[in-house]
Amino acid sequence: MSINLQALFAQLLVGLINGSFYALLSLGLAVIFGMLNIINFAHGALYMMGAFAAYFLLNVLNIGYWPALIVAPLAVGIFGMILERTMLKWISGLDHLYGLLLTFGMALIIQGVFQNYFGSSGLPYAIPDLLKGGMNLGFMFLPIYRGWVVIFSLIVCILTWYLIERTRLGANLRAATENPTLVRAFGINVPRMITLTYGLGVGLAALAGVLSAPINQVRPLMGADLIIVVFAVVVIGGMGSIMGSIITGFALGIVEGLTKYFYPEASNTVVFVLMVLVLLIKPSGLTGRAA
Amino acid sequence: MKNKITALMLGTALSLATAGVAFAQDKSIKIGALSDQSGLYADLGGPGSTLAAQMAAEDSGLLAKGWKIDIISGDHQNKPDIGSNIARQWFDVDKVDVIVDVPNSGVALAVNNIVKEKNGVYINSGAATSDLTNAQCSPNTVHWTYDTYMLAHSTGQAMVKAGGDSWFFMTADYAFGAALERDTTEVIKANGGKVVGGVKTPLNSADFSSFLLQAQSSKAKVIGLANAGGDTTNSIKQAAEFGITKGGQKLAALLLFITDVKAIGLETAQGLSFTETFYWDLNDETRAFSKKFAARMKNGAPPSMVQAGVYAGLIHYFKSLEALGSNPHDGIKVVTKMKELPTDDPLFGKGKIEANGRKIHPGYLFEVKKPSESKAPWDFYKLAGTVPANEAFTPIEKSTCALLKK
Amino acid sequence: MVEVTMADPVNTAASGKTVLTVENLQAWYGESHILHGIDFNVKAGEVVTLLGRNGAGKTTTLKSVMGIIGKRTGSINFEGQEISKAQSDKIAKLGIAFCPEERGIFASLDVRENLMLPPTIRPGGLSLDAIFELFPNLKERLNSQGTKLSGGEQQMLAIGRILRTGARFLMLDEPTEGLAPVIIQQIGHTIARLKSEGFTILLVEQNFRFAATVADRYYIVEHGKIIDGFANAELPQNMEKLHTYLGV
Repeated sequence: MSINLQALFAQLLVGLINGSFYALLSLGLAVIFGMLNIINFAHGALYMMGAFAAYFLLNVLNIGYWPALIVAPLAVGIFGMILERTMLKWISGLDHLYGLLLTFGMALIIQGVFQNYFGSSGLPYAIPDLLKGGMNLGFMFLPIYRGWVVIFSLIVCILTWYLIERTRLGANLRAATENPTLVRAFGINVPRMITLTYGLGVGLAALAGVLSAPINQVRPLMGADLIIVVFAVVVIGGMGSIMGSIITGFALGIVEGLTKYFYPEASNTVVFVLMVLVLLIKPSGLTGRAA
Repeated sequence: MKNKITALMLGTALSLATAGVAFAQDKSIKIGALSDQSGLYADLGGPGSTLAAQMAAEDSGLLAKGWKIDIISGDHQNKPDIGSNIARQWFDVDKVDVIVDVPNSGVALAVNNIVKEKNGVYINSGAATSDLTNAQCSPNTVHWTYDTYMLAHSTGQAMVKAGGDSWFFMTADYAFGAALERDTTEVIKANGGKVVGGVKTPLNSADFSSFLLQAQSSKAKVIGLANAGGDTTNSIKQAAEFGITKGGQKLAALLLFITDVKAIGLETAQGLSFTETFYWDLNDETRAFSKKFAARMKNGAPPSMVQAGVYAGLIHYFKSLEALGSNPHDGIKVVTKMKELPTDDPLFGKGKIEANGRKIHPGYLFEVKKPSESKAPWDFYKLAGTVPANEAFTPIEKSTCALLKK
Repeated sequence: MVEVTMADPVNTAASGKTVLTVENLQAWYGESHILHGIDFNVKAGEVVTLLGRNGAGKTTTLKSVMGIIGKRTGSINFEGQEISKAQSDKIAKLGIAFCPEERGIFASLDVRENLMLPPTIRPGGLSLDAIFELFPNLKERLNSQGTKLSGGEQQMLAIGRILRTGARFLMLDEPTEGLAPVIIQQIGHTIARLKSEGFTILLVEQNFRFAATVADRYYIVEHGKIIDGFANAELPQNMEKLHTYLGV
């Protein structure tokens, strides 16, 4: 097969776009895992809820894309915090398996409810006027909206990283990840922080949902399809590492893009093959701390 | 689940109604609606197909004549092994007489074998592969609504004749995609066109942009979408997004359902041309049925052609049983009767079932309306042409079905 | 709430009012019953030391007061408030600060972040400059990762950070454990200095030679009970008993 350099660049760029979603979602998972020690299987369902929130805001309340970027993650984040307060809270400190099963069950219920009312083919959500159209980069025609997704996700990822790694609030969070008991004994309301952290992780998922609404259809199963790949990304990057999950997210998007170019049949599998390899060689993930 | 409960209630009510009748003749029928209940094909088949089966039972007139009709539904999850297991259990344990719907060609072919082995009746509406009435044909099977041959010869042929003589395929990587690509390729070649390339895409992909870019760089005049459901809608939306259609390449949505058009939105879908054998707004009879149907659907959707096929297929099945006087629980006997009787139902009009199991009716070339032309919800199509019944499907002399050779 | 004011350091030991009263405190780790009825009190401005062998229940007593033991019964009264049922963050906000035996320096935080971690409970805590005056080493290592510090520096950090918060009641769990003599001396000076500034300190120590340099009173803990107690002045006549208790 001759390598067409232009086509290759195009695939790399397309991979970067998908990588943006992987990064946003795996970042949320990492934040949640770090603080709650829960593998949040409901993440895909909450991502889907973000997209649906954008859809409802537009079609019921006539609130457009730009406000939805803030309102939808906020609303879904609050929903997440309610889940944490009413359910997840009770299994803190138990084996991972409990959290996994509980969140998996929550995901099935949320998806089932949406599917019951909206079917499975999905609802359209238009690209906002400002980001319609595309530009010719020479080697490809880049839809402006997709370019926006990459840049915006990158900014959100970096802001989240900054929040956690460089601010006072983030220091509290990291400390509570290491030793919640002591942090609480210093007078910090750790349970509230846990709830807010879950809200943040969920908000990131919902934000990814809003970003994806104009690209994919708003479908009840949109998250279920994506989340399995994202979990592989998280495993490869290492559970709980913030920068690791961001970098791995973008990197695996690119790897997938390359696979689509060289051997498209394997494009749905390549991430899992990598996951197996990483697990064999470095079980804690590329950037993970040993458990 | 709700459908199943309704079906059970219907069954219970009926058995109470017939309790006093002596069972000199067996007038009980058990229908299994096997579909993708929650995945990418759930909206075009799924719960709507179960509803169509219920409506067929209600409209058949058999209930008043002392027949008892039970309907159960199952979710094959697009996995041939799961579909086979359900079918097997239905025949062995639940004593199902007829399996309907079954979208997804991979599952459909697997179930085809089970039905034959168990001597049941199989009225397939959801699957596309023309193999069901060719290499894999069975005396127990009627393939009702559409198939890959029909799609290739209507949409495919129309596009080649309109000048689209070089094609690049984006093909769903399983039985259906392969069959559709094969049948369409034949049509393209027969009409003097050529296929310059193609890519096999994993079933149920969210992102087609990479594949679309490959299609774009192939410089083919037509990008043939040999896929279905969510895969098709994603391809079309993303093709618009990446400026591929604006760049002069045409998309051939070889298989497009009304639910897909809804999902894409008219803004993006407008102008697409494709083929279906049923549209709710074709005539007074289809409109009347669709109105009743939509009122019972949770999201108010009119029937897809697959769901319409489930209804029409069962109507004909009930007619044949009535003609037989009782249910012989013998698949071959019933299907033979179905082939003997001419078909006539409100949704597909008059037609017939060929010896290979192929149901024959016209195909309709539709074009998606502009948003400004759409006057009502689900008012999506305008009729662009009709392929007469005798041209729409594989001519019987060309069928490779072994049943024809005896 | 009774506000603890800067008391006259000379008189505190004798005349301060009781800030902490613990009565019949029992505590469990999971199924194992660790404390079987602890009774003691601490008066404002005192340095009180709990002595005892390993596993006697000294650390568990501190943790019980801090509210970080799963199950505890009995009464813990701090400045007139019953805190035996309270959550640890509420207890901290009443003005109790805890420096754990394992020091609890956070690996993912640098020294500055570690130092700034405990929130200010009330005004009157030490300024950063005052803390650096006590522990000059910390100032030089502000940007190092917390756990990259030496053991002594980590201990200074662990004590330093709870001085910022405005809490006037400090609980220090074995602050000298595993440290070089010169560092132990520095920590001794610090405790003396804190005491002179009116802090009340509840200390757990194995090293009673060190304790003797700072403590006003002692309690002996054995098998989850307080079995004896005496003032620093009575130390010489209790020396023999003490050796028996501690098995020195």
